Formats: sequence, structure tokens, C-alpha cells
Amino acid sequence: MSGPAAAPKIVVSHVSRQFPADEPERGLALQDIKLTVIPNEFVCVVGRSGCGKTTLLNLIAGLLRPTEGEVLIDGRRVEGPGPDRGMVFQYSALFPWLTALENVEFGPRNLGVPRNQRRALALELIDLVRLRGFESKYPRELSGGMKQRVAIARALATDPEVLLMDEPFGALDELTRAEMQEELLRIWEARRKTVVFVTHSIMEAIYLSDRVVILSPHPGRVRKDVRIAMPRPRQRSSTEFMAYYEDIHSSIF
Amino acid sequence: MRTSTVASSRSQPPGWSGRTERAVGALTVAVLLAAWELAGRAGVLSAYHFPEPSRLAATIWDLVVVGFPVGVTVWQHVGATAARIVQGYVLAAVLAIPLGLVVGGVRALDQASAPIITFARSVATISLLPLAVAWFGVGELSRVLLIAYGCSWVILTNVIEGVKSVDEELIRAGRMLGSTPRQLFTRVVLPASTPRIFAGMKVALGLAFMVIVGVEMIGTIKGLGALIMEARTFYRSDAAMVGMVFIALFGFALSRLLDRLERVLLPWSGSLEEVER
Repeated sequence: MSGPAAAPKIVVSHVSRQFPADEPERGLALQDIKLTVIPNEFVCVVGRSGCGKTTLLNLIAGLLRPTEGEVLIDGRRVEGPGPDRGMVFQYSALFPWLTALENVEFGPRNLGVPRNQRRALALELIDLVRLRGFESKYPRELSGGMKQRVAIARALATDPEVLLMDEPFGALDELTRAEMQEELLRIWEARRKTVVFVTHSIMEAIYLSDRVVILSPHPGRVRKDVRIAMPRPRQRSSTEFMAYYEDIHSSIF
Repeated sequence: MRTSTVASSRSQPPGWSGRTERAVGALTVAVLLAAWELAGRAGVLSAYHFPEPSRLAATIWDLVVVGFPVGVTVWQHVGATAARIVQGYVLAAVLAIPLGLVVGGVRALDQASAPIITFARSVATISLLPLAVAWFGVGELSRVLLIAYGCSWVILTNVIEGVKSVDEELIRAGRMLGSTPRQLFTRVVLPASTPRIFAGMKVALGLAFMVIVGVEMIGTIKGLGALIMEARTFYRSDAAMVGMVFIALFGFALSRLLDRLERVLLPWSGSLEEVER
């Protein structure tokens, strides 16, 4: 982990987001959010549904604009979406007409990386997410866990320093989910990314992250910011783990 | 009814293979044809209303060798019909696909055009025949344009819907992965809409076959529709039936061809259920 002197990777500075009255998530979704993430830090954002955690992620992604305040990446203001931030969506959002390999190649292809080079890169990432042998399968031929592996590889293909993950394992069964958590930590340790990971599972947040940020709803505010000072791999059944769980759980409910 | 459940391949008894199923289907057809033949020979069915299968077989032979009207063989009828359908259908696709892509992508255009499209689509194409004749004469042009008219609205509607219903998440994913607006269109929106466009093309093909029979009923003696019309004039219900069968076979062959094409071009896509008709 980087020391306290490191320049922040992501700064969310006094951000509010108001939705127009005619949109489904109408009203004030986020109010005066302050959040600083240092390089290579793994931060989980938890909260009840409707607390604005996905909105926060979309603001960092640049898919939404803040009504007030600003989001900075490496000190530069976020003006829109871009390949310097990799995003993994809850339902994978893989392009169904592309094979696993072609999905991974999508970002580099947009950026004009030559064919051979991007193919080699994509194959390397397919290896990283352990999908060798499945690279020419279409998404509909892959299981939920495999799709998310492809989605992670695709997000990594533009070599972003920031990885944004929106409940990526929320739609998976419990066993696959636990397996994917291990895999994500392995990939994170291999590639050293700054991760912002949205989840509604407290257990998942404690298992994965360096810090858990708890949002409260209506309007979304940062209620608590908990540093998880446990070495990895973590034991879900340890007393320490359960103490964190109790702490976070009681501040949500 | 056993026969209908077999044909739709649902609730088949365990152990039934596709081959058994086809055999049962063929057997059913054979039994029905035999019953029809016997009823005709016994005088239960009149030869004018229900010419029996053996007579129809003779008519097919007659149509292939001599032709009806004399000199116009069934292949010339099929050829004339095919030429009209292909021209009208291709014209409709060439106009409606690009237009639909634009209209579907621009909200204001979509809203402005929706009432026009809904109205134009509800006009039964054949009812435009007198107008088409007045504007374009009784020649080939009228026929081709009417087929194009009938097909283009269905294609247009489905292309527009296809573009509009592209999964928002795919667009977000495309934007995060560095797509320019142009790349977003060619690499995300366009491929994402192809199953729906294909579905529209299939419905349009069916429509083309409905329109063709009507537009061939005047001003020509060539074409399967003309064949049926001539048969009616000469009280030849056997020839009319054969014409009908040829239209059905031809339409069936073309739609199978489209299905094949879809499987080759869109191997990633499962069958698409919702289609705008």
C-alpha cells in the first residue's frame, strides 16, 4: 500500500447530484460527497438500495455529470467517460455479437491499436482471467461467472489505472461469487489498480477492500468510512471479521 | 389432436426422435391426401370445388410442359413473380434500413415520424392498387412499387425499434471503452440492432407474398397471381390450387433461405421473439 504522502488517485470533491423530476431516480441522489482514494487502494462503497452508490460510480466514470462539485482523477477534472477508467457492470454488458476475445479487444480497437498487438494483449488478459480455451465463445455460451471474467479482462484491456465495479458479482450464485472475489484480489494484486467497488454485501466489502465507505440514503451522504486493517487472505469466520461486520451493519441500519 | 401436437414438437412422448416426428407428420399428410383422393373418386367431393390430388398432379405436369395460359409455363410464372418480389423487396430494404437507422437515432425525428408511419403501415397495400395504376400505369413499375411500399413500413418500424431498444448498458460500456460517437454507432448500435432488422426483413418477406398475388391480378398474364386469376376466369380450380401451392412453396423456400442466412450472419443471436408486425 502507498504511504499517506502519495498524491490521491481519485478525489470526489463536494459532489451533489440532482435528478430531474421526470426521471425514475428523481430527486437529490447524492449530497456533498467527499471521497479521496489513493493509488492502488481498494475501496468498497456499501449502502442500502437507493443510497446513490451506483450514481457515485457513474459520476467517477463520467457517465453522469455532477450538479455541484467535481470529480478529479490524477488532479484532472472528469469531463466524460474514457478508457483511462475501466468499468465492470453488474450484468457484464458484454457485446453479444463479439466473441470473448473480440470483447476484450474492443477498447484497444477503438484506440487504434494494430490488430496483432491488440490480439496478443487480449490473449494475455484472457489468460489472466483464466479463460484460455473459451476465447472464441460468444457471451451467450458463457456462464455468469465466465462473463464477468471477460468483462474484467475487457475493462483491463485499455490499461486503465482505475477500475470501477458496479455490483459485478451481485447476479452470481454464492459459490461463484466467492470464487470471483478470490480471482479479483489475485488480479488486483497482479495488476495493481485503484478500485472502487460498489456492493450491497457487507461481507463482500470487508473481504475485499482496504476501506469501506458507507452511504446513507435520501439524500446519499457518506455516513462512515471504515479502514479494514486485516491482512489478506481474510477469514470470513474470524472474530475480527465479525466485529467489522457488526460495526458496519449497525451504521447502515 | 395428436397430429397438431406432433407438428409443433411440444409435449412429445419420451424417446421420440426428430425423425419419428417427421415420419408421423408425413404419414398424416399421406393419409389425408389418400382420403381426399378416395372422396373425390367416390363423388363425395365435386371435381370443380375440390379437384382430387391425382388430378392436381396431372395439372402440375401440364403447367410444367404446356403452360397455362398455353405457352406460359409454371417456371415463367415463378420467374416473373420472383423478379417482382426481389426488386420490390430489395428496393424497400435499401430505402428503409438507412432511413430507419437515422430516424431511430434521432429522438425528434422518431417522434415526428411516428404518426405518419403508423398511418402508412395501416393502409392495406392492395387498396393502393388503383392509385398506383393511375400514377405509374399498369406495368411492372406499379407492381414493384406496391411490393416495396408494403415491405418498407415493416422494415422501417423494426429498424427504428431495433436502434431505440439497444441496451443502455452496452452504450455505456462502449463509451467507457473509448468509442467516438461514430464508433459507437458502427460498433455498438448497428450490430446490436441487426437481429431486430433481420426480424423485420422476415416479416416483410411474408408481406411481399401477400401483396404479389394481388398486384399480379391485373394487367399481366405472367406471375403466379396472374396464373390464379386466369384459372378463375376459365373455371380451372385445379390450376388455381396448383398456383397457390407454388406460391406457398416458393415463399417457404425464400423464408428458409433467410433463416439460413440469419444463422450464418448472426451466429451469436438466439431466436428473437418480439417483432413489430
